[in-house]
Amino acid sequence: MDQIARYIIKYRWVTIVTVAVLTIFFSFQIKNLRLNPDVISSLPDTDPDAVLIKQISDEFTVNNMGMVIVQADDIFTSEVLEHLRLITDTLTMTPGVASVISLTNVTEISGGDEGLQIGKLVDAYDLPDTPEELAELRNRVYEKGTYTGTMISEDGTTTVIIFTLAEDFDVKTVARGIKQKTEALDLSEKIYFSGSPMMVTHISDVMIADLRRLIPIAFGLIVLILLMGFRSARGVIFPLLTTVIAIVWTIGIMALCGFEMSMISSDIPIILLAVCTAYTIHVMNKINQEREKNWQKATLKGLQYIILPVFLVALTTAIGFFSFVFGTYLNMIRDFGIFTALGTFFAFLLSIFFVPAIFSMLPSTAKTSFTLDDRIKKSYLSDNYLTPLHALLFKHPKYILSSWGILLLISLVGIFFIERSVDVKDYFKKSDSTRIAEEIMAEHFGGSKPIFVRFEGNMQSPEVLKTMVRSEEFMKESPYVNSTQSIAGLITQLNFALGNGRSIPDDQSQIEQLWFMLEGNELLRQFVTDELDKGIIISRFTSPDVKDKKEFGEKMRAFISANSTPDCKIEVTGMPFVDVTMDRSLINGQFKSVTVVVICVIIILSLILRSFWNGLFATIPIIVATLLLFGIMGFTGISLNIATVLVAAVAVGDGIGYSIHVISYFNHARKQGKDITKALHETIMVSGKAIVINVLSVAGGFLVLIFSNFVPLQHFGLLMAISMVGSSQGAMTLLPVILILVNRKKEAIIKKKLNESIQ
Amino acid sequence: MKAFNRRFILAVSVLTACAFQTYAQDPVSILWKVDKVIFAPKDKQGKVKMILKDKSGNEKIREAIMMQKGIDKKLYRYTKPESQVGVATLTLPGDETWLYMPTFGKPKKIDLLAKSQAFTGTDFSYEDMEPRTYSDRFIPKLMEVKETEYVLELIPKSAQSEYSRVIAHISKANSYPVLLEYFDKQKKKIKEATYVYEKIGPYWNAKEVTMTDLRKNHSTRTLMSEVKFDQGLGDDIFTVEKLKQ
Repeated sequence: MDQIARYIIKYRWVTIVTVAVLTIFFSFQIKNLRLNPDVISSLPDTDPDAVLIKQISDEFTVNNMGMVIVQADDIFTSEVLEHLRLITDTLTMTPGVASVISLTNVTEISGGDEGLQIGKLVDAYDLPDTPEELAELRNRVYEKGTYTGTMISEDGTTTVIIFTLAEDFDVKTVARGIKQKTEALDLSEKIYFSGSPMMVTHISDVMIADLRRLIPIAFGLIVLILLMGFRSARGVIFPLLTTVIAIVWTIGIMALCGFEMSMISSDIPIILLAVCTAYTIHVMNKINQEREKNWQKATLKGLQYIILPVFLVALTTAIGFFSFVFGTYLNMIRDFGIFTALGTFFAFLLSIFFVPAIFSMLPSTAKTSFTLDDRIKKSYLSDNYLTPLHALLFKHPKYILSSWGILLLISLVGIFFIERSVDVKDYFKKSDSTRIAEEIMAEHFGGSKPIFVRFEGNMQSPEVLKTMVRSEEFMKESPYVNSTQSIAGLITQLNFALGNGRSIPDDQSQIEQLWFMLEGNELLRQFVTDELDKGIIISRFTSPDVKDKKEFGEKMRAFISANSTPDCKIEVTGMPFVDVTMDRSLINGQFKSVTVVVICVIIILSLILRSFWNGLFATIPIIVATLLLFGIMGFTGISLNIATVLVAAVAVGDGIGYSIHVISYFNHARKQGKDITKALHETIMVSGKAIVINVLSVAGGFLVLIFSNFVPLQHFGLLMAISMVGSSQGAMTLLPVILILVNRKKEAIIKKKLNESIQ
Repeated sequence: MKAFNRRFILAVSVLTACAFQTYAQDPVSILWKVDKVIFAPKDKQGKVKMILKDKSGNEKIREAIMMQKGIDKKLYRYTKPESQVGVATLTLPGDETWLYMPTFGKPKKIDLLAKSQAFTGTDFSYEDMEPRTYSDRFIPKLMEVKETEYVLELIPKSAQSEYSRVIAHISKANSYPVLLEYFDKQKKKIKEATYVYEKIGPYWNAKEVTMTDLRKNHSTRTLMSEVKFDQGLGDDIFTVEKLKQ
């Protein structure tokens, strides 16, 4: 360590110049970073359901459909119908909108033996306005049946205007245009937006808003905490400077490597800001403690001790983040883990190379050398928290142990109440318009979780189309599938309109000629490929319950294996099935990531303590703190979701840092020949101060996330803050108690052995 | 006297020229002349090739035999692709449209309450193909007189029209529209049709028409060949019964 510390001081100019050059380089890369709020693109290529969803998105125009939801006391009034026409016209005029269908422009095809009628449900420029005309329209709409649950709610209070986006336009630009223009109409009805383009754009807007709002708050809060902790400009500037540089490098590399910023990775800057100031705080704290007139000397002395503990703390934190690579389901979480781990590593490098390099060149502010006693006595924190805590540890170690034991038992009970959530609507606050829109869609229009049944075969073959019809009938047997749409449905409808019965014609040439009437219809691209060799049934699943989704998936797969033939290959996929896998992965991912981190932590602590058992004992506080966290989740109803599943591994990886600092200082003091009481006293008084400042800073940083507009991130921030407090208190109370009790036992054994040998 | 006569003749000539100029620039007359030129033949028949092109450049080809008598009797009988051979549409006076699909064996009357529907999958709507004169369908307004063409703004007489206006560029040389620009109710240009003409005997004929739907970035190019005029097509060709043949 001495040699490394000397090199750090010797080559300080090289370090400073390198850091400056890299920071400028990566700053320029950041502008190339793209936001990707689309959850579907984050689905893994290892999941067949996810792969098929992506394939269907490429083959059919299913993901570019959105809905404007209009709510009023009664849709069948002349005023509301006029407003519907206005919105329909506005959407039609919006650049990038390919088609719009509403009650005011929907085409009706009807007929029988006499002939075929192709018309509109209403004349958009001569809308019904008398009570009789409105009542007649209402009856016509509900008698027809096809509009109920697809365009109008059963109670007549809600209707949807369905639009599709043109392929060569930017989804977010068009979606924002739709929202802006519709809202500018300032209509009296309640208006909501739903569907993939609107959802993706909303997530993107929320991500940008979060970044703009939360980063300054996190920054300000950490400045305040550092100012209070160090009461010096250096104490504020250096931790922030190193973290900001680490953030710039991380985001710059993300952009350089072509990665995109997801709704999870958008919080990397805030998380790094919260976590990584710690390394510089510890380095500075140690250098400050070595107060020498010669600042270079102080830096060298400080570094000789601090490199190893800071490295270990950074290593465990990085492992905590990196553990998401094992067993995670969504690519965005894997990317988040990799880049946050990388950011942590950069922050560590900067804290031990860059900070000392600058420090060693600054004039000393110290006037005299301080003794250790001076350093540990003169503070509000020492007098009011650390000294009483130290006294309590030695006076009542067993009480402390029992208190933790009780908390642990309560937490174990709470674990059984943990719920899981994979529903996208749960990402948003209850008051969020997108969440309300999702709830309306679920209540009145069969939900927004799409199910796709993909058929491979000749789409004009009567056998294929009849299998499609059978599949749709089978799907509708489920209480959670209200309606289905497919090319088979359109052909059946046309055949019926031509007076040939509500069925698929037996003769392929008849189907081909019916197809002639559909040519040019925008709907075709949703249901069949241009080559007519693939087609899909589109439906939606209403139940949010994973058990229902799983059951439906099993039934569908059984139906498919019984009906799939080489000429008509059938596959099923959809978000409900992805939800089932995601739900399973929450448990698996949680288990795998926590196991990886805990094993790594035990190995690291065993190496530091040079004993496996001691390493295991030292890990107990963090394991207890993590179980406490799960207990809190169970009792407070905070569910395990795509963000909170990250908490445990990060909490172990980062929280163990407090134990490492306590153990490192304790060992350091013991090596200097101090007895357990003295060593522990110094540990609590010296490391304790840094730990408390660090906890306030880290927890404060994480708590900023409770202002996020994404509920999972709010919960992530809250739980991380709680876990930081829990793990730090574990390190400062439970760990010392374990050390006291283990050493007392050792001393007792040694005394007994000594007595025996004397006798 | 001679001098008076010369002055008189000059004055009459100037007045006639002015009157003719005024008459020529009267939008109603310009449109009336367009109709007169388009519907000049007693009947017309020929082969129509329709090339449908989507935004990716993929093409679909259809072929049909077209027969027209007067203004309001028109028959399309498809000869390509193979699956559509024999499919026919017949338009008759009084907005009557019939569709015949051989595989179903019976012609069906189509009541086109919405004329914005695409005509058999092309970029022409049933409204564009309506068997009525321009003068009957639109109120014209002269927008501009260019060197080689008149630019008319045509306002649909029917409130049911999908268009708010059509801007027609009419060739001064032969009174045929060379470009039609279609605007929706929100005054947004949604389609445009370009025409290329040839003279066959005494008549001008649109040998190539390209209709582009700007919203879908999709176009339909129709090419006419083997065009014959005034062949004395009988009314019996334009009957529902004959559709089956």
